[in-house]
Amino acid sequence: MAKGKSCVLLPFVVGLVGALIVGWWVFPQVLFSQKSQPIRFSHKVHVEDQDMACEDCHTFREDGSFAGIPTTEQCAECHSEVQGDDPAEKEFVEKYVEKGKEVPWLIYQKQPDNVFFSHIAHKNIPCKTCHPDVGHSDTPPPYYENRITGYSKDTMKMWKCERCHAQRGASNACYVCHK
Amino acid sequence: MGIDRRSFIAFVVGGTVGVVCSPIPWKLLDDISIWSQNWPWIPKLKYGQRSKVSSVCKLCNGGCGLDVHKVGKRPVTVQGGVEHPLSKGGICPLGACGVRLLYRPARIKGPLKVTNGKPSPISWDEAKQILVERLKGKKVGCISGDETGTASEVLAGLIAKLGSNDFYFMPTDSQSAGFTWKKMNGQGQLGFDLENSDYVLALGADLLSSWGNVVRNQKAFAERKGSWVYAGPHQLTTGASVDKWIPVYPGQEGVLALGIAYYLLQAGKTAGIDNFSEVKDYVLAKYTPVTVEAKTGVRASKVKELAKELLQAKSPLVLIGSEANQGSGSFEWASCILVNLLLGNFNQKGGLVALPEVQVISDAPSRLQLSQNVLANFLSQVAGGQKQVDTLLVYEANPLYALPKATQVEQAWAKVGFKVSFSTFLDETALQSDLILPSAYFLERYDDVYTPFGCANSIYSIGAPVLKPITDSKSIPDFILNVAKQVGVDLGYSSFEDVLKAKAQKLGADFDKLVEGEAYVGQEKVAQTGLSLNPEVLGNGLQPESEGLFFAPLVKNYYGNLQQALTPTQVVVIPDTELKNKYVYVQINSSTARKLKLKSEDKVKLQGSGAECVAKVHITETVMNDVILMPLGFGHSAWDEYVKGKGDNALKVLNVVEEKGSGLKVWTRSQVKVVRA
Repeated sequence: MAKGKSCVLLPFVVGLVGALIVGWWVFPQVLFSQKSQPIRFSHKVHVEDQDMACEDCHTFREDGSFAGIPTTEQCAECHSEVQGDDPAEKEFVEKYVEKGKEVPWLIYQKQPDNVFFSHIAHKNIPCKTCHPDVGHSDTPPPYYENRITGYSKDTMKMWKCERCHAQRGASNACYVCHK
Repeated sequence: MGIDRRSFIAFVVGGTVGVVCSPIPWKLLDDISIWSQNWPWIPKLKYGQRSKVSSVCKLCNGGCGLDVHKVGKRPVTVQGGVEHPLSKGGICPLGACGVRLLYRPARIKGPLKVTNGKPSPISWDEAKQILVERLKGKKVGCISGDETGTASEVLAGLIAKLGSNDFYFMPTDSQSAGFTWKKMNGQGQLGFDLENSDYVLALGADLLSSWGNVVRNQKAFAERKGSWVYAGPHQLTTGASVDKWIPVYPGQEGVLALGIAYYLLQAGKTAGIDNFSEVKDYVLAKYTPVTVEAKTGVRASKVKELAKELLQAKSPLVLIGSEANQGSGSFEWASCILVNLLLGNFNQKGGLVALPEVQVISDAPSRLQLSQNVLANFLSQVAGGQKQVDTLLVYEANPLYALPKATQVEQAWAKVGFKVSFSTFLDETALQSDLILPSAYFLERYDDVYTPFGCANSIYSIGAPVLKPITDSKSIPDFILNVAKQVGVDLGYSSFEDVLKAKAQKLGADFDKLVEGEAYVGQEKVAQTGLSLNPEVLGNGLQPESEGLFFAPLVKNYYGNLQQALTPTQVVVIPDTELKNKYVYVQINSSTARKLKLKSEDKVKLQGSGAECVAKVHITETVMNDVILMPLGFGHSAWDEYVKGKGDNALKVLNVVEEKGSGLKVWTRSQVKVVRA
């Protein structure tokens, strides 16, 4: 009888632990592909060395919409030519500035088009609440793309929006985000 | 320790519990539900900074100012130029499609050379080489659909310097008016001061739908200072909105004008023309109230009332026009000019005006001179073998669709050695050309508009490129300037932008401000001396009618126009009473239907000029007796799925006759036979 019990418990535990390892460790590795930004952009160089503020590049437009990442044209206001020895800057100037192309930056928190998110309505909430703290990074963090949905791993889910709205007493009516 | 059945089940149960306690099922379920919404056809928004730039519309010759809204570098929509003197914030249904037409499926993707009926892509360098060979030492002609742009001046300059006089505009009311005015020894371009008139009488001129700049006309109507009266065969467009509609048979508007002139002359009015007494005697003798009533269908008492109202107005104005904005003759225009001269409104506030012209390409004929070149006559000569053309350039025009069959356009086309189409879209003419060179869409190039037909002041507008061409297309005037150099012709400029700068400078306007949307408005009028009028031209209104119903094309600008086919956006707004399935609907009233023993939805054939159109019948009381209306703009054999094979082309059945005293070929006085199909 004791032999029988041990035969049941051990396989159960092995199956359970194995499945938990697969589910919590292997599955995310398989589900998300890891990507790097097309250019190694250093926030550290801009913020610490050049003493730039976040708002110098990540600005609100006159109509209140958020510009997000600056365009190549805006970057070219300083980087129309290669200024330093950093190969990433050289690559940026040659591949994008000189050819007048936009850099296909990977957006960590991009929301689908059916979500209307207004940055200016959330301007009193620190950026780090929703975005990764990259302000002092020398290399952008890796971007994880969901192989099934195509969205970033860091894309905020609706329940997170709703939770925050509920906590702050903001409306959770559908039309607040879905116009 | 072996693995028996019990331990295997325990392993599976443990695994299942582990899986359930992991994100695998829940995350997969969530992701699959998101994935199921990722259909490839769902458009993805492109975000960017919103901005607004100015441009000028080239979808017709009206020349409205446009405010183009952009997101990032991409135009997304247009509205009427708020500051522009013609549009004043207004826009027509066609202009509203301005941005969407960038992506029309019929756009030509790149230069094509047609060999044995098969088009094959070539480079622009190859195209230039071919064109240069076809221009050097050849008999060259050109047809342009752009009567207000300097691009036509560049082409006309090239044609002139190649030793040819064969530059033609598509036949519009503007061309007929210019032709007639020049024959009367007039100078400048005729205009009509609608904005300041306190009594506007539009004879056949469908002011609110197709005549001149419709947006400007509608603005003037909204702010009118007095009555607006429309005399025409139907009440579907302008007739439905103005203060008074007077039913008059199509093509008889000139007769009505002379019927009014009769009463004005009786009231002792005079006109400043050298042979006035001759003209006066002719009108009083030939256009008696009885004759006019019989020809026009308008009672003599009504004609007298119109004359009285015109005499009572402080700033009366009479306009004339054809339903299809083409095919009118000197008779109509001479009659219209005569009535205005009798009313004493010439170059007066609210009256008929003559505006100065401006040109910058040396040797290029002026617009007024070019209006003497009559395309229908040219086609007839080419078709008949009296004139030989080795190379024909067609710029922004679609003559194989937009001219009556009876102009012999198809026969003439077959006799031209080499045809080059400069078109943005693959229209009927491009499809039949030997070399197809895509013209950049107007938002992708520099272009301009100088004083659209009908304007009361000189107006000059420039549009700069809003975006780079999205196909392998080019600014054709720039291409022509380049080609001209290769054939040894110096047009004086190296780029079209420089040509426009020179034009702005000549007008005393600031090029940069023009590009920013600040249109130039000139107040100068051209005084006239030595005007005369050939009474023989006035005799054309007395010609007997042929058999059948009076035929009038119905033009609405949501059908598109003769340059731009019905747009993909507007397909859905056409009512079932105008187009349903593959049939276009002709419109007659119940009295005419009874005479013809027809009822609604009957399928009929319209026969005229050796051709026939198929249509269905719609009965409406907004059409006068013995008149049949047919929407114009259908029956395309080219373009794209949105228009191809829908309805029939009303132009096929129009009769073309040569006008006495002017030699102009006209087709406004057409009549057709109607039989059951």
